[in-house]
Formats: sequence, C-alpha cells, structure tokens
Amino acid sequence: MNTICYLCSKPLKSRLTWKQLIMYEQQAVICSTCDSKFELVKPEEQKSPDIQALFHYNEAMKDFLHQYKFFKDIVLKDVFRSEIAKALKNADAVIVPIPMHPEKIKTRTFAHIDELLKAVGIPYTHLLEKITIESQSSKSKMEREQSAQLFQLKPNSIIENRPHILIDDIVTTGTTLKHAKAILIAAGAPSVKAFTLIQG
Amino acid sequence: MRKRLFKQRTKTYRYIGNLENPSLRDFLAGRIWLREHSPFSEELITQHIQLGYIATLPGVKKISKMNSRFKRMNYICNRCANNNPNLFVTYYCAACEQTCVYCRHCISMGRVSSCSDLIKWVGPTPRKAANHLFSWTGTFTPYQQKASKELIESINANRAHLIHAVCGAGKTEILFPAIYECLKEGKRIAVATPRTDVVLELAPRIQQVFPKTKTQALYGGADVEKNYAPIIIATTHQLYRFEDAFDTIIVDEADAFPYTHDETLQQAVTKAKKSDVPIMYVTATPSEKLIYQIKKLQGGYSFIPRRYHGHPLPVPRYESLWRYTKQIESTRLPKKLVQWTKKQLQENKPFLIFFPTIALMEKAIPLFHQLEPNIQAVHAEDPNRKEKVLELRAKKVRGLLTTTILERGITIPNVQVAVVGAESGIFTSSALIQIGGRVGRSFDCPTGDLVFFHHGISVEMDRATKEIKRLNNTELTTI
Repeated sequence: MNTICYLCSKPLKSRLTWKQLIMYEQQAVICSTCDSKFELVKPEEQKSPDIQALFHYNEAMKDFLHQYKFFKDIVLKDVFRSEIAKALKNADAVIVPIPMHPEKIKTRTFAHIDELLKAVGIPYTHLLEKITIESQSSKSKMEREQSAQLFQLKPNSIIENRPHILIDDIVTTGTTLKHAKAILIAAGAPSVKAFTLIQG
Repeated sequence: MRKRLFKQRTKTYRYIGNLENPSLRDFLAGRIWLREHSPFSEELITQHIQLGYIATLPGVKKISKMNSRFKRMNYICNRCANNNPNLFVTYYCAACEQTCVYCRHCISMGRVSSCSDLIKWVGPTPRKAANHLFSWTGTFTPYQQKASKELIESINANRAHLIHAVCGAGKTEILFPAIYECLKEGKRIAVATPRTDVVLELAPRIQQVFPKTKTQALYGGADVEKNYAPIIIATTHQLYRFEDAFDTIIVDEADAFPYTHDETLQQAVTKAKKSDVPIMYVTATPSEKLIYQIKKLQGGYSFIPRRYHGHPLPVPRYESLWRYTKQIESTRLPKKLVQWTKKQLQENKPFLIFFPTIALMEKAIPLFHQLEPNIQAVHAEDPNRKEKVLELRAKKVRGLLTTTILERGITIPNVQVAVVGAESGIFTSSALIQIGGRVGRSFDCPTGDLVFFHHGISVEMDRATKEIKRLNNTELTTI
C-alpha cells in the first residue's frame, strides 16, 4: 500500500472507511493539497460538444503531465482513475485510445493513454495506427491544421455499429482528434465522440 | 630557424593511438550519469565504452532474490542508493518486453530503471589547471584565523572536522584558505549544502575569490556545463550524480532540513567523495549526534562564539500573542504585531516576519497590505523568492513575510525579525537560533530587534534563548 503522496511525497493521511471495504472504492494516491490544485472543466467551459475534457491545463497539470510523460513515472496513471472511471464507466460505446507510433512506445517504455485506461479497468480496442513519428506538440497551430492524415485504420479491424469514443490525454487545437474521427467515420462508425483528460 | 621549429613540432605531436574526447572526459570525470540523458551523442559514448574509457552499470540492482517474510523483491538504486521498497515501481516495459523496475526517489533527475544504463568515466584523468589565483583581500578575526588554520590541519591530517561558529561569524570566509590549499595540491573540492538558497549565495562569492578557477554551481534546474571544475558548489541532492569524485568535501549547514532527515542524502555525500577522505562540517547549530560523531572519529573541532564584528548575538524578546491563529483567521491582525510592524515602517527598517505555516501566512498577507502595500510573502514553492530577497536587500520592498525557508543563508543589513507563533513545532531551537542569526549581521548595524510572538512559551524557545546567552557569555580569552 502506498503511504506517501505520488506528487509531493508528503505522508498521506488516509482513513479506511466502510465504503472502501464494501464498495471496493480505490484509495487516493495523492494528498488533498495536491488534489485541490487541479481545476475541473465545468460543462459550460467545454470547447466543443463532441469533446469532453476533465481538467484545465494549469501549472499543476503541466507538472503532472511532464512527470508522467517525460520522466516516465508510470505510477501516475492512478492519480485520476476515479475521475476517469466516473466519466467512462457507464458509456455504452467502443473505447478507442489514440495510438502511439511503435517506435515512440519503445522510447517511452509504455503507452500512456492505454495505461490510463488500464488503471481504471476499462476495456478498449485499438482500431487505429499512427503513421507519422513527429509529435503534434512540436508544431505550430498552422502546421497542425495543414498536416496530412496522422492515422490509418488498423488492418483486419471490424467496426461495430455502436458509438465510438476516442481517448487522448490532451486536446489543444483538436486536429489529432479530427483526423482520427475522419478515419472512423469513413470506416463506418455511426458516431464518434472524444474524451480527453486535459483541455489546453 | 624556421626549419628547427618545425622539427620540434613534429617531435612533440606524434599520433599515439586512440585519444579520448576531451570534453566528454572533463564532463564525465567523477560523475555517474544516466546514459540517455547525457549531453553527448550515443555514438561517442559507445565508442568510448569500446575503448574502455567509460564503464556502464545498470540503474537498479536487485539485492536479494526474495524477502522471505513478505515475498517482495528488494532493490537498490545505483544512483541515489535508495532501497525503500515503496519507492520502486515494477511495470511492464515496452522497450524490453518484460517487467522492469524503476526508482521514484530520484526521478526528477531523469528516470533510472533496471533497463537503463548509468555511465561513469574510468579513462585517463582530466588535465588539472595549475595556476589558481587567490584574490581575497579581507582580514580574519583571531577566531577565524584559528579556525581556518585548524581546518587546514585537519585536511592535511586526513581527519574529519567540525566548525561550530555562531551565525554571522564569517564561516564562508574561513573556508577560502582551505579551498586554496586544496587547489594548490590539485585536489577537487565540493562544498555541499542542503539548501538551494545557500548554493546561490555561496557560488558567486567563491567564484570571486578564485577568479581563474572554474567553479560550477549545481542545484535543481541549473544548467549543466560540460567542463571540468575543480570547485563544485552543489546541493546535497546533486551529489547523487557523483561517485568517487572529491578529495575534499565540505558540508555547509549540515543540520538543515532535509539532510538530517534523509539518509540517502548522507549516503550521497559519502558516495561522492573518495572513499578514504573524511567529511568536513560547518554549522552554527550542530546536533548532539553530529558532535558525538566527530568525537568518535577523533576529528578536529573549531568553536567560534563571537561574530566577526565582536558584538554579542541579539537575545530574543518574548511577547505574548494569545490566540493569534483565530485572530488572523477572523481577518484581524493582533494589536502587538501591528504596533511592531508600524514601528519598523516608521523607522524605515527592513523586516522579516516568520510564520509557522504557508496557510496562515497567506491569510495574513492581505491584512499586512492594509498597513503597507509594499510587503511581500515568500515560501518554498515561490519561483520568485530569490528576486524578492534581493528586493528587500535593495530596500525596494519594505518587509517580507516568510516561512522557515529563509531561516539561514541570507544576509540583509539592519533587518529586524519577528517570529509569529514561535511555540509551533516547526520552530526548533536550532531553527530559532538560525532565525535570530539574521539580525545584526553587518558591521554598521550590529544590533537589532528579535521578537518571539507566542501563544505560550515552549521548551525549544527557552533552549534557544539559553544557548544564545551561553554563547554570549563564553569567555573570549580562550584563544
């Protein structure tokens, strides 16, 4: 069991409650001070009706993402598991994470979006493949919008006649999600929505 | 004539085989570095490994196969020597396609895992510069003179040493001649301290005294220079990245948090120095454990009970400030605190007010702003804390509210100090002595006000006052 906060390393003051025992509720892995630094996105602040984002991209979130993706601190996948679970558990849809380039997975040693979903225990299907290796964050807004298709449909994949939800870590201009959505729609998906952890 | 010169040149510069890359050598000597994070190309490193100039070792080592009672693997991090099983994470690594382990303890320096290599230099040693210029023109008090001489004696005799000097005795200056002695012998020196603020204060002073010698200041977020520096001023955290590197190591403010609390930091210091050299300690408030340790090692001990200007240490004054937390929380500043602040503002003296918690301080800032808008607050997570202290020194800011982060290492002429809630657990006797040491440091204003505002007098407060009085009453004729 974890006894210190994953983000600030201060001791966690957690008390075992009946609810935790009976409902299998998972224990928090960060302290309340760190938790309070993240800002939830209110329904009226969502950028687009098709994209649901959980958090704003503030200083604390920037540090979190940096430690998770660039310091490769894989345990941070658990930090937002209860929030992600609340948002996705009851969705009757095919969950499709945005894929990473196989070479990129090798250098990062894990696929960060898949890990987020694994931490919650949500089944997902990879329907897409990434074809370019360059990252979106290194490009300007103009370059992103003009870039060619980033994905292709995975060979031999079957598209079900159910709504699809794309999962990504952060949405900034929405180009990545737009590319992915176009492919799924073209392959016959009835509707495609998106869920992201952060809205930039 | 021309011909002769040419001949000589061909004689001295003969091709002698594989040569190491000088900048890689200078950078890596004494260091233990993550291979993926090095500022050099992968090709260059592979080439040097083949030449036998660089050794590699895995980042995380398994120390026992199975812990019989808990059936859990035990690991040790080869960089930070962390062996706390809670700080190791086992995961499925996509690069190796098997389970790997990484250390969370030193992750802010780049992740060290069982599948990542650490590299260290085992090739020819860097060429050492011989011409060191010692340009220090200050003079020592007899006490400093004695302590300095004793420190050099200890270094030469290869034994541990503790300099116990009151705040404002001129501890940093005492180190200068010792550093110079070491430089002359071609030694590599590290001055380590637990606090980044102290590194920032020390580094420019040391660089000024040794203008021709390369010095590096290392702290979290500092740029890494690629050259070999005989003098390294670093936070104790940064010493995780050194191994077998230093001939002399001086730990300044050895009693400061987190050095005393984090065992891996103490191991880092031991690992960074060469195995047969002792550690030199400098502090104003040595713990009993440290004094005992020095005694056990039969190390040297220098004691300076007087400040360099010869005036006694300011003795704290107690003022009751009953229920200050409740008053501040109900948006009212206690009357005595208001009077004290107004007095400093009228006399135009800079002041520091210490608070036990960040939360209480943040509640108090708007209340202070009603008295005078030009008051700032600093705490550990404040990115501008260096600038704010400089502004106070330059009198651009009238006063600072602070947590214990400014308890040591800073000098502001004619500063007046108040401690709110001096009875709180965070203000230990050594913290209070250090806070008191901020007052009256300069030659022109050797006195000043030091108030402990309290909600009941604690044992630690009395201990601090007693120690200050004892130091002030110590006979001066013992030289």
